[in-house]
Amino acid sequence: MTDRPIAPSPQPGAIRPAPAAPSLRELFVGMLQVALSAFGGGLSAWSQRIVVEERRWLSNEEFLTGLTVARLFPGPNQINMAVYVGAFFHGLRGALVALAGMLVLPFTLLMLLGLVYFSFHTLPAIDRVLAGVVAAAAGMALSMGFKILGQYRADPIALLLAAGTFVAMEGFQVRLVPLVLVAGPLAMAWYWPRGGASRPPQP
Amino acid sequence: MVSLSLIPLPPFFAVLAAGWGGMPDALAALPGLSPSGAGLAAAGAQASQLAHCEPMRLNDLGHLLQVMGTFLGLSLFSLGGGNTLLSEYHHISVEQFCWLTSTQFADLYALAEAAPGPSSMLVGLLGLGAGWPEGPGWALLSAYGAELAILLPSTLLMVVACLRWNRLRDSPWRLAFERGLGPITLGILFAVGFKILHTADTNTPGLVVSLLVCVLMLRTRISPLWFMAVAGLLGGLGVINR
Repeated sequence: MTDRPIAPSPQPGAIRPAPAAPSLRELFVGMLQVALSAFGGGLSAWSQRIVVEERRWLSNEEFLTGLTVARLFPGPNQINMAVYVGAFFHGLRGALVALAGMLVLPFTLLMLLGLVYFSFHTLPAIDRVLAGVVAAAAGMALSMGFKILGQYRADPIALLLAAGTFVAMEGFQVRLVPLVLVAGPLAMAWYWPRGGASRPPQP
Repeated sequence: MVSLSLIPLPPFFAVLAAGWGGMPDALAALPGLSPSGAGLAAAGAQASQLAHCEPMRLNDLGHLLQVMGTFLGLSLFSLGGGNTLLSEYHHISVEQFCWLTSTQFADLYALAEAAPGPSSMLVGLLGLGAGWPEGPGWALLSAYGAELAILLPSTLLMVVACLRWNRLRDSPWRLAFERGLGPITLGILFAVGFKILHTADTNTPGLVVSLLVCVLMLRTRISPLWFMAVAGLLGGLGVINR
């Protein structure tokens, strides 16, 4: 198993020095740094800033490739990005180390917060504040669909698929797993690339 | 359940209330009912909801394995980021295994969103809740176990994908998957958004805040933490209730 599975070919006469491959320890520390920097938010932005610009582990293209793969495959995008960065240099071990670096601090913090929550959430004052916060969080959840709606506006079949999925889940309470197992292959069949053309067939 | 104020509401909210809450909740929230009466009705509705689901009596380890096994099976279905699994999380933790009440689920969702780090750490909180009746120690074990379970399969798949990406990049499977699952993800995210809104169980001002936050999230780059802070303040002042 190669150490740099997706490494680009070296460019002769490159002006900037080739990025150095980080060790496992450096991976952990680097991802830890990302997690700490992103305390106020913007995990993806900080991830790019640190991995590409500051530590120069990946080029921008490599990073963007990582984003593509991370979005395509199951798993939270940010988690998948950390896995990508780690796997890029050290395969499975690298992936686990990078993941640990990114998660260990925020997760421990959140679990402590959770323990505090479960101990005190019945206090009326806390419950009142939470009632408000939850309203805001619900608004955030509502915006998720709208956020990606734009790219499908021109595709009536896509909108039909989305509407059907929505009605199934919301109206008929269909569970996620059966829904994906049925609708997924149907959608894939419709969008299967035909004869070299990278476009869904026009009706 | 959307509690109706004494001021006559536009028909829109009335329809929403009836639809979401189901008839018993809507009836309980009719104007004229005293605040404590509405509160009792809400508590009754929640208690009956809990009574319908019978938590399995397992020993500590069995419970832990149940938690981990559940999330292990879901890991590969978190398409388009972890948010598509939220409805499923709710069903599992509130309706199927009764680890949490719907209100607690909403609280934990907000907590995971507010806290620094990926919001998929919600699963850890769900595991925490699952193990909480057995004490903080088991709760933490349950939390770490749950998070490990939800991350491991997708991580392994991701590693394989990274190593084979050059071969996979232009394959028709990749293109079909990307183009096909996109619209499905879109539908799921809308359903999830509505579900979370339902669990928020908020009153009319709260609903206005939710919709406002939704619009602001889309139109501006204001950090969500601000929205939650302001909304929390409004909640503390009693403007937003549930």
